Amino acid sequence: MAAAGEERQMLAQRLKAAVHYTVGCLCEEVAEDKDVQFSKQSIAAISDITFRQCEIFAKDLEMFARHAKRTTVTTEDVKLLARRSNSLLKYITQKSEELASSNMEQKEKKKKKSSTAKGERTPGEQEAAVTENEDSNMA
Amino acid sequence: MEERGGRAGGFRKDTVDRLLRLHFRDGKTRVNADAQLLMAELLKVFVREAAARAARQAQAEDLEKVDTEQLEKVLPQLVCNCGPELHGSRMSIGAETA
Repeated sequence: MAAAGEERQMLAQRLKAAVHYTVGCLCEEVAEDKDVQFSKQSIAAISDITFRQCEIFAKDLEMFARHAKRTTVTTEDVKLLARRSNSLLKYITQKSEELASSNMEQKEKKKKKSSTAKGERTPGEQEAAVTENEDSNMA
Repeated sequence: MEERGGRAGGFRKDTVDRLLRLHFRDGKTRVNADAQLLMAELLKVFVREAAARAARQAQAEDLEKVDTEQLEKVLPQLVCNCGPELHGSRMSIGAETA
Protein backbone atom coordinates (compact mmCIF):
# COMPACT_ATOMS: atom_id res chain seq x y z
CA MET A 1 0.00 0.00 0.00
CA ALA A 2 2.82 2.35 0.97
CA ALA A 3 4.54 1.63 -2.33
CA ALA A 4 1.52 2.79 -4.34
CA GLY A 5 1.38 6.01 -2.31
CA GLU A 6 5.06 6.61 -2.89
CA GLU A 7 4.74 5.99 -6.59
CA ARG A 8 1.95 8.51 -6.75
CA GLN A 9 4.07 11.01 -4.89
CA MET A 10 6.92 10.51 -7.32
CA LEU A 11 4.60 10.93 -10.29
CA ALA A 12 3.20 14.09 -8.74
CA GLN A 13 6.72 15.42 -8.26
CA ARG A 14 7.64 14.75 -11.85
CA LEU A 15 4.48 16.40 -13.07
CA LYS A 16 5.11 19.41 -10.86
CA ALA A 17 8.56 19.72 -12.37
CA ALA A 18 7.15 19.52 -15.88
CA VAL A 19 4.58 22.19 -15.03
CA HIS A 20 7.26 24.36 -13.48
CA TYR A 21 9.33 24.18 -16.63
CA THR A 22 6.47 25.23 -18.88
CA VAL A 23 5.35 27.94 -16.48
CA GLY A 24 8.90 29.29 -16.57
CA CYS A 25 8.83 29.44 -20.36
CA LEU A 26 5.46 31.17 -20.43
CA CYS A 27 6.50 33.69 -17.78
CA GLU A 28 9.56 34.47 -19.84
CA GLU A 29 7.32 35.30 -22.79
CA VAL A 30 5.11 37.54 -20.66
CA ALA A 31 8.19 39.17 -19.15
CA GLU A 32 9.42 40.10 -22.60
CA ASP A 33 6.01 41.26 -23.63
CA LYS A 34 5.39 43.47 -20.61
CA ASP A 35 9.01 44.43 -20.06
CA VAL A 36 9.14 43.19 -16.47
CA GLN A 37 11.01 40.53 -14.57
CA PHE A 38 9.57 37.66 -12.60
CA SER A 39 11.21 36.61 -9.38
CA LYS A 40 11.91 32.91 -8.98
CA GLN A 41 9.43 32.80 -6.14
CA SER A 42 6.64 34.27 -8.22
CA ILE A 43 7.26 31.72 -10.99
CA ALA A 44 7.26 28.94 -8.43
CA ALA A 45 4.05 30.29 -6.98
CA ILE A 46 2.30 30.40 -10.37
CA SER A 47 3.53 26.91 -11.03
CA ASP A 48 2.15 25.70 -7.72
CA ILE A 49 -1.20 27.34 -8.28
CA THR A 50 -1.44 25.87 -11.77
CA PHE A 51 -0.74 22.40 -10.47
CA ARG A 52 -3.44 22.75 -7.84
CA GLN A 53 -5.89 24.20 -10.33
CA CYS A 54 -5.45 21.04 -12.40
CA GLU A 55 -6.97 19.05 -9.60
CA ILE A 56 -10.07 21.23 -9.66
CA PHE A 57 -10.22 21.06 -13.46
CA ALA A 58 -9.78 17.29 -13.45
CA LYS A 59 -12.60 16.73 -10.99
CA ASP A 60 -14.93 19.07 -12.85
CA LEU A 61 -14.13 17.43 -16.17
CA GLU A 62 -14.75 14.01 -14.73
CA MET A 63 -18.11 15.15 -13.39
CA PHE A 64 -19.12 16.69 -16.71
CA ALA A 65 -18.25 13.50 -18.57
CA ARG A 66 -20.05 11.37 -16.03
CA HIS A 67 -23.09 13.63 -16.26
CA ALA A 68 -23.15 12.96 -19.99
CA LYS A 69 -22.82 9.25 -19.18
CA ARG A 70 -19.33 8.99 -20.66
CA THR A 71 -16.05 7.77 -19.27
CA THR A 72 -14.02 9.80 -21.76
CA VAL A 73 -13.61 13.53 -21.34
CA THR A 74 -14.22 15.36 -24.61
CA THR A 75 -13.78 18.89 -25.93
CA GLU A 76 -17.38 19.62 -24.95
CA ASP A 77 -16.43 19.06 -21.32
CA VAL A 78 -13.45 21.39 -21.68
CA LYS A 79 -15.69 24.08 -23.13
CA LEU A 80 -17.99 23.75 -20.14
CA LEU A 81 -14.99 24.35 -17.94
CA ALA A 82 -14.34 27.64 -19.74
CA ARG A 83 -17.93 28.86 -19.53
CA ARG A 84 -17.58 31.47 -16.78
CA SER A 85 -15.41 33.84 -18.74
CA ASN A 86 -16.75 35.04 -22.08
CA SER A 87 -13.42 35.75 -23.66
CA LEU A 88 -11.94 32.49 -22.41
CA LEU A 89 -14.88 30.55 -23.75
CA LYS A 90 -14.56 32.29 -27.09
CA TYR A 91 -10.84 31.51 -27.26
CA ILE A 92 -11.32 27.88 -26.32
CA THR A 93 -14.21 27.46 -28.74
CA GLN A 94 -12.09 28.87 -31.52
CA LYS A 95 -9.22 26.52 -30.70
CA SER A 96 -11.66 23.66 -30.65
CA GLU A 97 -12.88 24.57 -34.12
CA GLU A 98 -9.30 24.78 -35.40
CA LEU A 99 -8.71 21.31 -34.02
CA ALA A 100 -11.86 19.95 -35.62
CA SER A 101 -10.99 21.34 -39.02
CA SER A 102 -7.42 20.07 -38.90
CA ASN A 103 -8.79 16.65 -37.94
CA MET A 104 -11.05 16.78 -41.00
CA GLU A 105 -8.03 17.58 -43.16
CA GLN A 106 -6.13 14.64 -41.74
CA LYS A 107 -9.02 12.32 -42.42
CA GLU A 108 -9.24 13.53 -46.00
CA LYS A 109 -5.54 12.85 -46.48
CA LYS A 110 -5.83 9.38 -45.02
CA LYS A 111 -8.79 8.57 -47.22
CA LYS A 112 -6.90 9.59 -50.32
CA LYS A 113 -3.83 7.64 -49.33
CA SER A 114 -5.64 4.51 -48.34
CA SER A 115 -7.48 4.42 -51.64
CA THR A 116 -4.18 4.40 -53.53
CA ALA A 117 -1.97 2.42 -51.12
CA LYS A 118 -3.97 -0.57 -49.95
CA GLY A 119 -3.49 -1.00 -46.20
CA GLU A 120 0.08 0.29 -46.20
CA ARG A 121 1.21 2.25 -43.16
CA THR A 122 1.25 5.94 -44.07
CA PRO A 123 4.33 7.98 -43.20
CA GLY A 124 2.12 10.17 -41.03
CA GLU A 125 1.24 7.26 -38.78
CA GLN A 126 4.85 6.19 -38.45
CA GLU A 127 5.86 9.66 -37.42
CA ALA A 128 3.16 9.71 -34.78
CA ALA A 129 4.51 6.47 -33.34
CA VAL A 130 7.98 7.97 -33.01
CA THR A 131 6.78 11.09 -31.26
CA GLU A 132 4.75 9.01 -28.82
CA ASN A 133 7.94 7.37 -27.65
CA GLU A 134 9.76 10.68 -27.44
CA ASP A 135 7.04 12.18 -25.30
CA SER A 136 7.18 9.48 -22.72
CA ASN A 137 10.16 10.86 -20.85
CA MET A 138 8.41 14.09 -19.99
CA ALA A 139 11.57 16.05 -19.35
CA MET B 1 -0.71 23.01 -31.82
CA GLU B 2 2.41 21.60 -30.22
CA GLU B 3 5.25 23.94 -31.00
CA ARG B 4 8.70 22.84 -30.07
CA GLY B 5 11.61 25.18 -29.63
CA GLY B 6 11.52 28.82 -30.58
CA ARG B 7 9.47 31.26 -28.62
CA ALA B 8 6.16 29.58 -28.11
CA GLY B 9 5.90 27.82 -24.77
CA GLY B 10 3.08 25.48 -23.94
CA PHE B 11 2.06 22.35 -22.13
CA ARG B 12 2.76 19.00 -23.66
CA LYS B 13 -0.26 16.94 -24.49
CA ASP B 14 0.84 13.89 -22.55
CA THR B 15 1.80 15.94 -19.50
CA VAL B 16 -1.68 17.40 -19.47
CA ASP B 17 -3.17 13.94 -19.75
CA ARG B 18 -1.15 12.64 -16.81
CA LEU B 19 -1.92 15.74 -14.77
CA LEU B 20 -5.63 15.20 -15.16
CA ARG B 21 -5.55 11.44 -14.66
CA LEU B 22 -3.68 11.97 -11.41
CA HIS B 23 -6.84 13.46 -9.95
CA PHE B 24 -9.63 11.48 -11.48
CA ARG B 25 -11.62 9.55 -8.96
CA ASP B 26 -12.55 6.80 -11.34
CA GLY B 27 -9.72 4.77 -12.82
CA LYS B 28 -11.70 4.35 -15.99
CA THR B 29 -11.93 8.04 -16.81
CA ARG B 30 -9.93 9.02 -19.88
CA VAL B 31 -9.34 12.20 -21.84
CA ASN B 32 -9.57 12.11 -25.61
CA ALA B 33 -6.74 13.56 -27.70
CA ASP B 34 -8.53 16.73 -28.73
CA ALA B 35 -9.58 17.44 -25.18
CA GLN B 36 -5.96 17.04 -24.08
CA LEU B 37 -4.87 19.60 -26.64
CA LEU B 38 -7.65 21.94 -25.64
CA MET B 39 -6.78 21.61 -21.97
CA ALA B 40 -3.17 22.37 -22.82
CA GLU B 41 -4.41 25.60 -24.39
CA LEU B 42 -6.58 26.38 -21.41
CA LEU B 43 -3.73 25.88 -18.99
CA LYS B 44 -1.49 28.03 -21.14
CA VAL B 45 -4.06 30.81 -20.98
CA PHE B 46 -4.39 30.33 -17.24
CA VAL B 47 -0.67 30.75 -16.67
CA ARG B 48 -0.33 33.68 -19.05
CA GLU B 49 -3.25 35.40 -17.44
CA ALA B 50 -1.79 34.97 -13.96
CA ALA B 51 1.59 36.23 -15.12
CA ALA B 52 0.18 39.14 -17.09
CA ARG B 53 -2.08 40.32 -14.27
CA ALA B 54 0.78 40.12 -11.78
CA ALA B 55 2.95 42.05 -14.23
CA ARG B 56 0.31 44.75 -14.51
CA GLN B 57 0.10 44.93 -10.74
CA ALA B 58 3.85 45.39 -10.56
CA GLN B 59 3.67 48.14 -13.15
CA ALA B 60 0.89 49.83 -11.22
CA GLU B 61 3.14 49.77 -8.18
CA ASP B 62 6.02 51.14 -10.25
CA LEU B 63 8.08 48.01 -9.80
CA GLU B 64 10.28 46.33 -12.37
CA LYS B 65 10.17 42.97 -10.72
CA VAL B 66 7.11 40.85 -10.13
CA ASP B 67 7.15 39.12 -6.78
CA THR B 68 4.74 36.99 -4.78
CA GLU B 69 3.17 40.10 -3.24
CA GLN B 70 1.88 41.20 -6.63
CA LEU B 71 0.68 37.71 -7.40
CA GLU B 72 -1.22 37.50 -4.12
CA LYS B 73 -3.13 40.61 -5.03
CA VAL B 74 -4.31 39.38 -8.40
CA LEU B 75 -4.90 35.78 -7.51
CA PRO B 76 -8.35 35.88 -5.93
CA GLN B 77 -10.06 37.09 -9.07
CA LEU B 78 -8.17 34.71 -11.28
CA VAL B 79 -8.88 31.56 -9.32
CA CYS B 80 -12.44 32.40 -8.43
CA ASN B 81 -13.40 32.24 -12.09
CA CYS B 82 -16.53 34.19 -11.38
CA GLY B 83 -16.77 35.75 -14.81
CA PRO B 84 -13.41 37.51 -15.09
CA GLU B 85 -12.71 38.69 -18.59
CA LEU B 86 -9.30 38.03 -20.01
CA HIS B 87 -7.71 41.42 -19.95
CA GLY B 88 -4.21 40.74 -18.69
CA SER B 89 -2.78 38.68 -21.50
CA ARG B 90 -2.96 39.62 -25.11
CA MET B 91 -5.34 37.41 -26.98
CA SER B 92 -5.11 37.51 -30.71
CA ILE B 93 -8.61 36.57 -31.74
CA GLY B 94 -10.33 38.42 -34.61
CA ALA B 95 -12.79 40.61 -32.75
CA GLU B 96 -11.64 40.97 -29.20
CA THR B 97 -14.25 41.96 -26.65
CA ALA B 98 -11.95 42.91 -23.81
